[in-house]
Amino acid sequence: MSKQSKLVEDMQALLGAEKVISSKLERYTYTYDSSFLSQLNEYYPDVVVCPMSTEDVQKIMRYAYQHEIPVTPRGAGSGQTGGSVAVKGGIVLDLSGWTDIVEIDESNMQVVVRPGIVHADLNVALSPYGLFFPPDPGSSKMATIGGMVGNNASGLRAVKFGNTGQYVLGLEVVLPDGEVMKTGGLHSRALKSVSGINLTSLYVGSEGTLGVITQIRLKILPKPPVRGILLTLFSSLDDAAATVLEVFKNGIIPSGIEILDDSGIKAANKFQPDLKLPEAEAALFFEVTGSKAAVDFEGQQVKEIAEKRASSVEWATDAQRMAKLWQGRAVIGAASARVKVGSTRIFCGEDVCFPMARVPEALRRIKEIGAKHNTLVVIYGHIGDGNMHTAPIIDPLKPEEVEAAHRVADDIHQLALELEGTTTGEHGVGFTRSQFMEAEHGKALEIMRIIKDAIDPKGIMNPGKIWAER
Amino acid sequence: MKTTYRIDFAEELKKCVRCGECRASCPIFSESKREPDSPRGRLALVKLLQDGKIEASAELSEKLYGCLLCKTCAVNCPSGVITDEIVVGVRDYLEDVLDKNIVKRALLKGFLTRPALLQASFSLVKLYQKTGLNDVLTRSKLIDHLPETMSAGAKILPDVSKRPARGRIPEVVKPYGEKRFRVAYFLGCATNLIYPDVAVTGVDVLARHGCEVITPAIQCCGMPHLAYGDTDTMVQMAKNNMKVLLETQADAIVTDCSSCSATLAESYQKLFEPGTDEYNQAIELSSKVYDLSKFLMEKTGVQPGPNPVNVVVTYHDPCHLKRGQNVFKQPRELLKAIPGVEFREMKEADRCCGSAGSFSIMHHELSMKVLERKISNIITAKAEVVATSCPTCTMQLSYGMKCHGLSGQVVHPVQLLAKTYSKIKN
Repeated sequence: MSKQSKLVEDMQALLGAEKVISSKLERYTYTYDSSFLSQLNEYYPDVVVCPMSTEDVQKIMRYAYQHEIPVTPRGAGSGQTGGSVAVKGGIVLDLSGWTDIVEIDESNMQVVVRPGIVHADLNVALSPYGLFFPPDPGSSKMATIGGMVGNNASGLRAVKFGNTGQYVLGLEVVLPDGEVMKTGGLHSRALKSVSGINLTSLYVGSEGTLGVITQIRLKILPKPPVRGILLTLFSSLDDAAATVLEVFKNGIIPSGIEILDDSGIKAANKFQPDLKLPEAEAALFFEVTGSKAAVDFEGQQVKEIAEKRASSVEWATDAQRMAKLWQGRAVIGAASARVKVGSTRIFCGEDVCFPMARVPEALRRIKEIGAKHNTLVVIYGHIGDGNMHTAPIIDPLKPEEVEAAHRVADDIHQLALELEGTTTGEHGVGFTRSQFMEAEHGKALEIMRIIKDAIDPKGIMNPGKIWAER
Repeated sequence: MKTTYRIDFAEELKKCVRCGECRASCPIFSESKREPDSPRGRLALVKLLQDGKIEASAELSEKLYGCLLCKTCAVNCPSGVITDEIVVGVRDYLEDVLDKNIVKRALLKGFLTRPALLQASFSLVKLYQKTGLNDVLTRSKLIDHLPETMSAGAKILPDVSKRPARGRIPEVVKPYGEKRFRVAYFLGCATNLIYPDVAVTGVDVLARHGCEVITPAIQCCGMPHLAYGDTDTMVQMAKNNMKVLLETQADAIVTDCSSCSATLAESYQKLFEPGTDEYNQAIELSSKVYDLSKFLMEKTGVQPGPNPVNVVVTYHDPCHLKRGQNVFKQPRELLKAIPGVEFREMKEADRCCGSAGSFSIMHHELSMKVLERKISNIITAKAEVVATSCPTCTMQLSYGMKCHGLSGQVVHPVQLLAKTYSKIKN
């Protein structure tokens, strides 16, 4: 019996056959996420298991620890860095079917969930209570909360509401040897705590390298009653960036400030023709939320500031129009593929984050990088916190275009470091950015490794991620 | 991959950026929660096949037949991947290269061992035999696998003993008043045999709206054959139907069945090379095809009779009408135009009911889970009547409502409209 067959048989014995995916054909569907690099390689897991309880995960981890088998936790596989791809084979934990909401604690404004619940579904469940989980990734409809915690994801509303980590109050984690740990206090329902070293924070963004998150206690907030979106068009990227800075200087913090460049505007119109965005060099979407008085006042202020430079301004408060505008922006990641017939969008070098003051320079330089490598790069993203998405548009069947896209991605990552930014603002490192970690972190990377080795001495948790091969 | 169904696999497949957005909308994935059952998973497997990295196999076939072809992923895909059409194309390819028994055995896996499903399937087979579609199942050897002792009791299928519509509808029905349109009524198989009253009513309503209605002798539209990859048979049917329908010189070809209208209007042109006579005929045909509600709303204008129909009605969008033909306002407008009707929108009205032709038999448990969500939405809407424009949706919804002990009926919108008229002609 082959090692793989034995592993499958043992997993079936441990969990029951219905929780085990073993055929090569089916395992192939776990070799990828959105990252282009994962699609160029075939990282087959030896087995995929679908745990539905902490005990299931414990059984798997005890076995994996004993047999020194790599374990890769996975949510929706909507990540863009290969974080949930088993580059060293072994076991993939498909946690996306484990979608329970354990408890909505309305009066204490928190919710306890299992890792597989999808972001949008959680907010649908919270809506009747007038509560919401504020981070708002563009992948809201498919991204799991477990994946968001693992990558410390954020999204379109990070300007005002921050990232996932700011809402994680405690975690249940199955450690590499199968033991269970609770962070944030064994029985705590407190909304903040400085009791001991912050292990919750250590696990947020650790990309499955330190254990398997099996339960998450999240802080949730009252849902703002009123919302408005200001759509503004500019004839230059510089004007758009300057407008954002001026809004902040006037003491206004919108919940989201999003940008689309000229190609992004085209892509949005192609996906949703009824959006009817006028042609421009850049579009900014300001989302303002709060009480009616606050939204009216701030919306008016932002409008007046924008009008100094914008060629066109639209203030939307109609629910349908706002949903279309926000959705049009949210899906642009994949919709960018529509901008050039015969080509598609690939995910590589896609979420660099720049200091606010250097965003205009960054936008110019990214355009230059695209031109240098003869590659169309659609720019969109969260300009309100400097987190820009860059989408190379190529024909993946043409090797020269693939090669050029890799060079574009390398240059964009280097640019982020050069301009005192970071290689990843919200998607994580995975295996697609690990080569930049030393330059970005220096000694700190070594300390991260020491922590990793202490918690996972056999190196079975999601190997090949964050740290480049030694 | 060479197929009759025209699709450029390489160009279409490269559009998929594997973002996973389709996981959010696929009714099958939302029940199974397994990546191989997601549209993205299926596309990844097709890409492997296209790249020559795997051979066609029963397992691959099973994965591709696990799709409802409901088009939900396609219309929601930010990158514009037409997953349902890719799946149809690959089924066509598999039909050509795989041993057909292997394909169908894979389909029947987990199905032949369940008496309840076998019982239900008998009725489907009976229907297929009656409709002249039995070649699909005969060639698949399904019939050979069915035990003789199987009970004849139908589960999903309603009573099919009613007199078929063909024979009840005169070859030419004259308009009640002045002739405004000459309409060819495409009498689909399921309507003809299972819900003949819909067609009889539909023709009468058209006549009341100034239409001279002819009901030509056509063959099956070919949708079941397309869904099972049997495009060779479908091409013959399409050629015959196009000839017969275009020869009628009708102003419009109208049908009460959303699958038929989608097939005539959209699928036929995918079977022939552009520039050929057949392709040109398919394009011409496409421009004349109308769903019944759409024709009444857009061409004749609806003229209800004097009798009010005092019921609360909700509407279920058939996949092939809403996403396949962008027809969803017209049936609602028609219902709202009926005096006495209180229209109440249900949640997720356009979510697939899980019927998808024979999917409800072949993947019974999964289909029932998909149906469960639909029935739950119907219950929440508190409607007395569910209207829809597809006979297999009607069958599935009726079954679901029966299982839940609901007394409400499932009807075609035109059946409610017909109730407004006096029973005596003119």
